[in-house]
Amino acid sequence: MKLLLVEDDKEAAAYLRRALAEAGHTVDHAGGGRDGLMLAAAEPYDVIILDRMLPELDGLAILRTIRAAGVKAPVLLLTAMGGIDDRVEGLEAGGDDYLIKPFAFAELLARVNALARRPPPQEVITDLTVADLKMDLLKRKVTRAGQRIELQQREFQLLEYLLRHAGRVVTRTMLLEGVWDFHFDPKTNIVETHMSRLRGKVDRAFDTELIHTVRGAGYILRGPD
Amino acid sequence: MRSTGLRLAALYTTAFAVAVLLLGAVTLFSTRHALSGQFDRRIRSEAEAMLHEYGSEGLIGVVEAVHERDRTAGALDYGLQGPGGKPMAGRLAGVAAPMGWSVVAHGPVGREETVRVFKVALPQGHILLVGDDEDTIEALDGAVLQGFGLTLVGVVILGAAGGFALSNDLHRRLTAISGTAEAIIDGDLARRVPLRGSDDDLDRLAQTINRMLDRIGALMESLKQVSNDIAHDMRTPLTRLRQRLEASLATPDERSAAVEAALSDLDAILDTFAALLRIAQIEGGARRAGFRSCDLSTVAMTVVDAFAPSAEEQRQTLTLAPTGPAWVDGDAELLTQMLVNLVENSLRHAGAGANIRVSVSVSGGSPALHVVDDGPGAPEAERDRLFDRFYRLERSRSTPGSGLGLALVAAVAKLHGADVRLLDAAPGFEARVIFPAPSAATLNIDNAQSTGAGGRTG
Repeated sequence: MKLLLVEDDKEAAAYLRRALAEAGHTVDHAGGGRDGLMLAAAEPYDVIILDRMLPELDGLAILRTIRAAGVKAPVLLLTAMGGIDDRVEGLEAGGDDYLIKPFAFAELLARVNALARRPPPQEVITDLTVADLKMDLLKRKVTRAGQRIELQQREFQLLEYLLRHAGRVVTRTMLLEGVWDFHFDPKTNIVETHMSRLRGKVDRAFDTELIHTVRGAGYILRGPD
Repeated sequence: MRSTGLRLAALYTTAFAVAVLLLGAVTLFSTRHALSGQFDRRIRSEAEAMLHEYGSEGLIGVVEAVHERDRTAGALDYGLQGPGGKPMAGRLAGVAAPMGWSVVAHGPVGREETVRVFKVALPQGHILLVGDDEDTIEALDGAVLQGFGLTLVGVVILGAAGGFALSNDLHRRLTAISGTAEAIIDGDLARRVPLRGSDDDLDRLAQTINRMLDRIGALMESLKQVSNDIAHDMRTPLTRLRQRLEASLATPDERSAAVEAALSDLDAILDTFAALLRIAQIEGGARRAGFRSCDLSTVAMTVVDAFAPSAEEQRQTLTLAPTGPAWVDGDAELLTQMLVNLVENSLRHAGAGANIRVSVSVSGGSPALHVVDDGPGAPEAERDRLFDRFYRLERSRSTPGSGLGLALVAAVAKLHGADVRLLDAAPGFEARVIFPAPSAATLNIDNAQSTGAGGRTG
């Protein structure tokens, strides 16, 4: 994928470029707001990673400008720690996701991957399928290998999130935000507990596991290769 | 003039003095006008009476009348002259004046009186003069002038004295306020503006300033507290982190395990920092601008639903008492986090086998959240200190946790104007958050438009 990284901290930018390249992405880097704006407007990117605090031009100003110019590439905002109101502001300015600094690289990578392959918004999906697991969103029914699986509401939402991101790593924080709308980090292992219940229903009775734990990153739902 | 009070007093005194002067002038003018009109009428009617006397009694009658009036006190002055101006009778007999109205000086040399005279001709060349002393009018003028002069002096003296007193008082009170400000600039943060207890505008200003100073003082105190807390409570984990990294240098074989442990230490430290910043931001109060109608029961349902499986795993139960909606004005995200922290507090400290019960109530219009567990509870003396940053009970030191969970609860409660209390559930622990009654707009909300804990998803 082709990514644009707008980040003024040279060391952080160098590290992220290398790590993203190792993960198989092509990365353009802009060290300032003006360069970032020019690149974002001129080149087609799959995802733009945009720091909020930049010299010359504020990240939000860049975001508003490129959105006004019709750039549709998903934007992941990097915001400073403690800015609890930044998220809302960033989403309102046209951002698609946000990440609070400092963050684990695995978290950034998971979010970039999740953003990049978002289906076009106008497309209405009525069922999600991975291998023999099927979710009917209209009837709110889940089957695996033709067998009905009874899920509680929250388990259904959790599985739906995994299915929508099938083949990609989803982190604990992504699940907390996406499934529970918790924008803070509970100290209790609620994600793990719900996940283990879900696996009990979706995987335990079957030969192949679909939900996998990715150590140090999160979970991934994928069919057998 | 550097003093506001003095300047005001001078202004008012001048205005009053000018008013007195104007009033004096008008009074003088109109008194004189009225008096001289009256004099003239009296003189004219006396002259007519004499003419009438002449008509009935002849010259003799007039002479007798003049003599008689000369002897009467308070009467006018008269004079009767023969043909060619020869004096015949009366005090004004020797006065030479033109016919009609005139003002003449009359009397012995050096003691002349000014007399206003009306001169008429009688038949057969005789002449009659009727007049009155102008001094009467002048004496009256003098009395009026003197009266107003004294009033003017009184006004100026009273105005100056009053103004001086007023400006002195104002000056003293303003000096007290600026003195307090100066003392605070110099570092004496405990200083407050002295109050008079009169509850006038300046006293109210002083009260407001004092309240502002209290608030600033509290903020400074909490800032100091935070920096002390950070200095004290971050030293331990940072030291541990440093030791781990040092050890990993010494033992290359175990390096990756050590780095992993160091990373998790670092994450814990960052979590603590994030929590401190979040508490500070909530205490800053900016979030209040984003308050909306929130249903506490929706918040409670979301939280209990999320945490019940984790409780079960620790052989605890987490239940929600059945409840109707309880609307408050607030920030759903912060309310959710507050309840999460209260629930986590119970999950962590109530021990295995504990039952934790969340309930929502509305009594007397005030919505409330309760989290009750049947664990060991907390000693009464220490309960309120649990809201302090980093404060932990002795027996809880070994359990994980930053000691910031309840501090955040207190900050969120305060932001919402809610009263949060930790109580003895006998046995166990109860946290009770009582919210103020919601605004009318929230009360009228259609239940279908629930904005509780749902809403935006990332």
